[in-house]
Amino acid sequence: MKEYVLDEPLTEGFLKFLVNFGTVRSFEQLRKPYFSFEKEQFISIKGFLWESNVEVRYKKEFQDLVADYFHLLLYYEREGEPGIAKLKGVEESIRDKMKIRLAPSDGNSR
Amino acid sequence: MDHAPQDTQPPLIYLNNAATTWPKPSEVLEEVANCLRQPLHEPGRTTGNGSMDYPSAAREALAAFFHSGPAENFIFTQNATDSLNLLIHGFVKKTGMQFHAITTELEHNSVLRPLTTLEQEGAITLSVVPFIDNTVSLAAIEKAICSETRLVVMTHGSNVLGSVQDIRPIAEYLHANDIFFIVDGAQTAGHIPVDLSDIPVGAFVFTGHKALFGIPGIGGFFISEPDAIAITRQGGTGTDSRTLTQPFEMPMRFEAGTHNYPGIASLYAGIRFITSIGQEAIEKKNTDLTRCFIRELKDTQGITIYNEKPDLPVVSFDIAGIDNHEAGFILARAYNVIMRTGLHCAPLVHERIDGGKGCIRASFSYFNTRDECRVAAEAIREVAWSADSQVRSD
Repeated sequence: MKEYVLDEPLTEGFLKFLVNFGTVRSFEQLRKPYFSFEKEQFISIKGFLWESNVEVRYKKEFQDLVADYFHLLLYYEREGEPGIAKLKGVEESIRDKMKIRLAPSDGNSR
Repeated sequence: MDHAPQDTQPPLIYLNNAATTWPKPSEVLEEVANCLRQPLHEPGRTTGNGSMDYPSAAREALAAFFHSGPAENFIFTQNATDSLNLLIHGFVKKTGMQFHAITTELEHNSVLRPLTTLEQEGAITLSVVPFIDNTVSLAAIEKAICSETRLVVMTHGSNVLGSVQDIRPIAEYLHANDIFFIVDGAQTAGHIPVDLSDIPVGAFVFTGHKALFGIPGIGGFFISEPDAIAITRQGGTGTDSRTLTQPFEMPMRFEAGTHNYPGIASLYAGIRFITSIGQEAIEKKNTDLTRCFIRELKDTQGITIYNEKPDLPVVSFDIAGIDNHEAGFILARAYNVIMRTGLHCAPLVHERIDGGKGCIRASFSYFNTRDECRVAAEAIREVAWSADSQVRSD
């Protein structure tokens, strides 16, 4: 788990971007509007809109492969629509690596 | 969305006292400072004018507080977990052969893990007695006893359900049947009067950092039958130093190395604080706070309280539609209300009450107020009301 302090608060635009990549739950009626993001095998995020602190948990099994995923979300969100397609592409290559790791060994590897 | 950024935090409301009480009485903080201001008084090692013998003073205070003695049979450890490990492993070592042990579903991992480890190693066979209506009865214990039963380890108060077990009849029965009885008093010591002159336990375990108002790192146990426990720790005691084995004399038999003096000083001051206020007054206030909190929440849609009549100031509950860790995160970060979420190191209780998913626990102390209860309950209601908010997904 890592807690990041971003240089600017998270916005609703970021939440809208997140919806393209996993499950977003939001509790907007609270004193501080809370949100969570869950992406199976990748990461989960907890935080509040309009705040710059965010808690990110990495899935243990693929931590090395998804370590940059949160930063990629922040980076590609700035690009808007084109960023969605680009990040989906990055995601595919991460998933390919996950599949290779999960594939049963043929027993001939040295 | 029209939410504006909020920079100001509401005042901290600390409701995690079943884990560690906070704040500590000023007398406790002052005693710790006093302890560290002067050289340590270590009988047999280093003594000087003006230094206080905190271990002896604290032992006397504990003996008076729990109405039992001799004071030398109060042993200092790091905490209740440390005490339970020392007692359970020491009892097994002393017994020297496989036997049957009994514990309950209400236990903390500080009991369950040592016993399960010993079971896996083949040192004991183990029965886990279920609870009914939040308590474990003598009848349930009796039912589990067999001819090989030598040990029962049982919590006095559940850290999840807040229920206090009626240990006197159980202790009397076990004592009469020559079964060693270790009582885990981590949650009760300081909260309710415990008169060990009236309850024939083999050992009673306590910790300093909860309702006894000490600092973390100090705990202990009272042992009525020291010979039942093998010595598992050896080291310097400041006495009989020519002998290369651990002295048999109490309390050195179970205490090796330099004591946790600041911790012992805090325990000493904590007991003095409780005595000065009066245990009944503290218990009354805690009960009032607990009832106030339950009243505030019990009719709220989506909130399930697992025991609406706890004996201890512990209220465990669930909020429908939201993971309890998320609820705890929101309450801490948005409302500055600190509670504990999850399994509370008591997995078997949770298996029974919530299928093992865990819950949220509010726990109170003498320094909480009714206002804090109301404000915390209002925050919890807000979270509960929001929990059916829309879920957006890809």
